Amino acid sequence: MSTPLIRNERFVQIAAPLMVGVLVLLLWQVSVMAFDVPKYLVPSPVDIMQSLVTDFSSLFNALLMTLKVTFLAFAISVVLGVAASLLFVQSKWIEVSLFPYAVLLQVTPVVAIAPLIIIWVNDTTWALTICAVIVAIFPIISNTTLGLRSVDPNLLSMFRMYRTSRWQELVRLRIPGALPYFFGGLRISSGLALIGAVVAEFVAGTGGSKAGLAYMILQSGYNLQIPKMFAALILITLTGILLFAAMVWLSDRALRNWHESALKVEH
Amino acid sequence: MTANKVTPLKAAPEPQPETETRVSEGHAAPRPILQVEGVNKIYNNGTVALKGAGLSVKQGEFVSLLGPSGCGKSTLLRIMAGLGEVTSGTVKWWEQDYDVVGSKGRKLAFVFQNATLMPWARVRKNVRLPLDLEHKGGSADAEKKVDDALEMVGLKGFDESFPRELSGGMQMRASIARAMVTEPNLLLMDEPFGALDEMTRNKLNDDVLKLRKENGWTIVFVTHSVYEAVYLSSRVVVMAARPGRIVDDIKIDEPYPRSPDFRMSTEFAGYCRQVSQALERASAMGESKEESH
Repeated sequence: MSTPLIRNERFVQIAAPLMVGVLVLLLWQVSVMAFDVPKYLVPSPVDIMQSLVTDFSSLFNALLMTLKVTFLAFAISVVLGVAASLLFVQSKWIEVSLFPYAVLLQVTPVVAIAPLIIIWVNDTTWALTICAVIVAIFPIISNTTLGLRSVDPNLLSMFRMYRTSRWQELVRLRIPGALPYFFGGLRISSGLALIGAVVAEFVAGTGGSKAGLAYMILQSGYNLQIPKMFAALILITLTGILLFAAMVWLSDRALRNWHESALKVEH
Repeated sequence: MTANKVTPLKAAPEPQPETETRVSEGHAAPRPILQVEGVNKIYNNGTVALKGAGLSVKQGEFVSLLGPSGCGKSTLLRIMAGLGEVTSGTVKWWEQDYDVVGSKGRKLAFVFQNATLMPWARVRKNVRLPLDLEHKGGSADAEKKVDDALEMVGLKGFDESFPRELSGGMQMRASIARAMVTEPNLLLMDEPFGALDEMTRNKLNDDVLKLRKENGWTIVFVTHSVYEAVYLSSRVVVMAARPGRIVDDIKIDEPYPRSPDFRMSTEFAGYCRQVSQALERASAMGESKEESH
């Protein structure tokens, strides 16, 4: 006998939040209509959808620009972050000497240094990317370093008993053991790369062919095109959700056989 | 000062050939495989973990280290494995300087308190690990050794499982199989069955005795259990705490193979009483030291 849909865990996981979303949208639409709220104050969901369709071309180009900066920044953060972590675990001295500077990157507000970077770096895309990297890199460094250090001491003893090289220790023990921590860092960093890209663009205020979604929001605000503003905001949020979901999927794929975070527990 | 500083060996002479690899019960004067002489271990915070520890393990012996918590049993075992530096004293392997023999010549294996398997690797890869670390993995010979080891510990058919898919007892078997593939001269076991239930523990005790007979292992075994020590060992070395030291060395003069019937015998009860009394005395020594402080 087939299981009723309501008892299907996967169905509930998708349907329940979807229903909440539909209800909120309905309530929003009805409230805006009932109180006759002007579009330039709070547009209705239907207005926003209309804007998404009519301004699709400009919004889509802006989305591509934001995605380009986000992905570039994310990729650079992963490569540099992992490289920094591998360097840190080589010696406590290296970590002690360099880690404070990694923290410095984390605590410095990107809006405060973005104008400097934009002055120093001619190419706008790269200037925005550097800003986003500054925001996104720290979780990768911090999580991966923690993971590379969190080795089962007995397994480490065993490796030492066989007089293994540091390379073997790294490849066979530390890196596989650090994967759950690394993927945790990826989840945080992917969202931060997008936030960094958007914030940097707000500061840079780039227009023309290099306009991203942040610039679109600013521009729409000046022109009181509030539905378009909301449409751009929705695209940013959707991008963030998709990025996070992709990282969760990747992490589950990589860890599903052995790590508690990705195991399906049967009751 | 670190007398037993373990450093990789560049030009190690070949270890002395083993004249007898099988367990030689009843034969005259087997050679000492490992000698610990006057070993002191003082930690940086001043704690004296071991004071004047001396122990000789002869080929084919099954020596259990027994004592209250904090008496340095595991520390002594780790020193034997070259995993800890000593403050003073010497550790000799086949009557040679420990380091001179080199890691290849020592051929020892260590079984830890928990199974210590790599959770991300399948059982086969876990068992093959020592061979991989010695760059011997991947060959047909290595795979055969892994197959043989898995069969001997009763894990045939589980080689593609992940450790989490195995029970605690099966994980421990995988850990023993991993020790087996190196064909060790000396097997060091640090409370390997401490976390298991009584029935699994008894079963694994019998398995260890069987594997020891088949593979000719010399074993040093750390345990908290008087019964386990008496059942398994040819010698029970009792240690006292504060500072950690050896206070008694009791010979269990019962022939191998030992069956579960031995647990029911009056001889077993007699040895258990003798070892328990020695343990009581050792505990009292530690307590009186504590009081005098």
